[in-house]
Amino acid sequence: MIQKQEIIEQLKEIIKPYVNDKLALNSLTETTDFINDLKINSANLVDVVLDIEEKYNIVIDNESMERMVNVQAAIEIIETKVGEKN
Amino acid sequence: MIGNDIVDLALAKKESNWQRKGFLEKIFTQKEQLLIKNAKNSEEMVWNLWTRKEAAYKIYNRETGFRGFNPVKLVCFYEDQSKGTVSCEGFLYYTQTFVSKEFIYTIAVLEKEYFKYLEKIDVATKISKINGIPSIFDNVSLVVKPVSISHHGRFWEAVTMLPF
Ligand SMILES: CC(C)(COP(=O)(O)OP(=O)(O)OC[C@H]1O[C@@H](n2cnc3c(N)ncnc32)[C@H](O)[C@@H]1OP(=O)(O)O)[C@@H](O)C(=O)NCCC(=O)NCCS
Repeated sequence: MIQKQEIIEQLKEIIKPYVNDKLALNSLTETTDFINDLKINSANLVDVVLDIEEKYNIVIDNESMERMVNVQAAIEIIETKVGEKN
Repeated sequence: MIGNDIVDLALAKKESNWQRKGFLEKIFTQKEQLLIKNAKNSEEMVWNLWTRKEAAYKIYNRETGFRGFNPVKLVCFYEDQSKGTVSCEGFLYYTQTFVSKEFIYTIAVLEKEYFKYLEKIDVATKISKINGIPSIFDNVSLVVKPVSISHHGRFWEAVTMLPF
């Protein structure tokens, strides 16, 4: 089982290239919204999803992706999909 | 109800690699992917269809209050470079797309006739946002006009509908 804090740190690395506001990135928490708080443009949200798939070697289906607009949802989806693998 | 979306093609080239493995599959239906593959200019088709989906999503978001990231659920019917519809969960939206070398811009409305009533808004206009969704309040007529805003790179566009 990966720790939540560990996932948050890994997520920060993944989304870094798509965020201009480095201050917002540093203060990232579970409740951070990818679009409203980090201003990630919606096309780059696809890149975030693909990067997560590659990093954790998981497949994120469209229904899961639909919910993935904030850090908390991303963590839940990663935990679930990684759990399903084992 | 109204939605718009603009893509600065030069910035999109820098920010997005649409040829990345898996990218198109996450956004487009099989039919849309075929349109892109067979297009003379595939990159232009990617952003043409993308702005249609985003513009339609903005209406869908305002009407239903639903927020989510599932572009494949928004299905484009591509009539030609500038015209078409987008359907989403039983709703249908009409789109008008403007293509130039520098940008691609789409406006979506609920009825075809509404294209006649569009009004461009300039940056100086006071736009209020409720739950992040923009409107203009006319203090005189007390009318609330829905506004859609889109900005990307060098471009900023806002549009509303005249009362009729
Ligand atoms: C609405 C959204 C798609 C726009 O993101 P974007 O394309 O990256 O950025 P744009 O510049 O085109 O749009 C941003 C503007 O849209 C406006 N806006 C937000 N929701 C809106 C709506 N329902 N109707 C009209 N305008 C809206 C905002 O006011 C914002 O302007 P601001 O920066 O001055 O506040 C994005 O904010 C969002 O919430 N995404 C969630 C999921 C998603 O991306 N879905 C896409 C299709 S599945």
